[in-house]
Amino acid sequence: MSVLGVLDGWWDDYFWGSVVVLEVFLVALVMMVLLGLIGSAAKLSNNRIAQKLANAYTIVFRGTPEILVVLLFYFGSGVTLTAFVQIFDPTVKFYDIPPFWAGSIAIALIVGSYATETFRGAFLGVEVAQIEAARALGISNFRTFIHVRVPEMWRLALPSFGNHMLSLIKDTAIISIIGLNETLYVAEQATGTTNKPFIMFMVVGLIYLSFSTVITLAVMVLEKSANKHLRSV
Amino acid sequence: MTFDFMLIFDSIPRILTGIGMTFQLLFLSVFFALILAVILLLMRISGKWYLVIPNMIYVYIFRGTPILVQIFIIYHGFPQFDFIRHSFLWPIFRDPFGCAVVALALNDSAYVSEILRGGVLGVKKELLEAGAALGMKPYQRFIHITAPIGIRLSIPAYSNDFISMCKATALASTITLLDMMGAARAIVSETFAPYEIFISVAIIYLILTWVYQKSFGLLEKRMSRYVTQ
Repeated sequence: MSVLGVLDGWWDDYFWGSVVVLEVFLVALVMMVLLGLIGSAAKLSNNRIAQKLANAYTIVFRGTPEILVVLLFYFGSGVTLTAFVQIFDPTVKFYDIPPFWAGSIAIALIVGSYATETFRGAFLGVEVAQIEAARALGISNFRTFIHVRVPEMWRLALPSFGNHMLSLIKDTAIISIIGLNETLYVAEQATGTTNKPFIMFMVVGLIYLSFSTVITLAVMVLEKSANKHLRSV
Repeated sequence: MTFDFMLIFDSIPRILTGIGMTFQLLFLSVFFALILAVILLLMRISGKWYLVIPNMIYVYIFRGTPILVQIFIIYHGFPQFDFIRHSFLWPIFRDPFGCAVVALALNDSAYVSEILRGGVLGVKKELLEAGAALGMKPYQRFIHITAPIGIRLSIPAYSNDFISMCKATALASTITLLDMMGAARAIVSETFAPYEIFISVAIIYLILTWVYQKSFGLLEKRMSRYVTQ
């Protein structure tokens, strides 16, 4: 296989790159769900300030390019941390947070703003009678949220949530720009030495395609299980 | 660490030199994407398996991979092949601008064709039956019934897609293009003032997003003027 021969010696790099993609995805997924829940709860709360803050959050992060947020987080945190560290040790030239964390937080914030809107819509889709019933049974607001509202909302949010997960996995590619050694970064390195860019970037495309396929299938299974009580006999 | 407001005023003119490039990237790629999307839509609703399956594969591939990877495959990958370098397409693929437009248009067409399909599926069957009862041919029904209603139904989703495209043009800065993002990155590398510069760019993008959103809102309102609320 002459075509795939150029990939010899790069397979392990691509493998570890894929592991990094997966790690970023999982870390950002957890943060994104939390941000979405907090954001939507704030939007639906009666607190004016919380509503305003959540609105500002969704407007800003849905309206600016992903690459801009990633670069701002990485270089911004670098400047801030360097200034902070230099107070204690003036000899330090530059200090940054790892691209992994800067990137994960950045993409989690971006996709979290979309998730906020999705969850908000889904929470509004939960029947009021359910919440009234919980209140009548004397269940606290917090436990109503965890045991009644979230499980009911989950089913309604799933289709859009699947798309958010796809955005999340695809946005990990942008983090390669700030030096995270995920698959796209590996491909750039490989291109530098082998001079075969097409096949190197194609491999990256295939890796992402398989990730998105797995996510799409997983969402299909989740939707099926979330809706099983509604299936007609 | 201070926040230097003078630097913002000094760099905004330089950032705005890239806005022309941002607009060119956006409008050209959206225009070509729309044409491609209509072709893809017609393939999808044709009901012929040899048209539907290629469409589904196309949509699956372009929606399943990051747009940055698509840009890199076209910009870095295509010049590797002699047959592309010797073909009439070479002037497009030699130029980073051409590569960016091609990549963005191909990517967006996959999304837009699905949005349009959603609109077409939202057209009530009774209307088409009425058209058939009046003796309209299938293509007449498509042009006079399906298209106007389908377009109106797809505007909200299309507006979101347009805004994602506006944001996606910033990725062109990774292949040396000096759009707003590219100009901002150049300034940051000179001044190392990421907060001032990137926040200014973010505000410009937010204003653009707001304008697009309002414009599509007006368009939707205008197209829905016959619809009883």
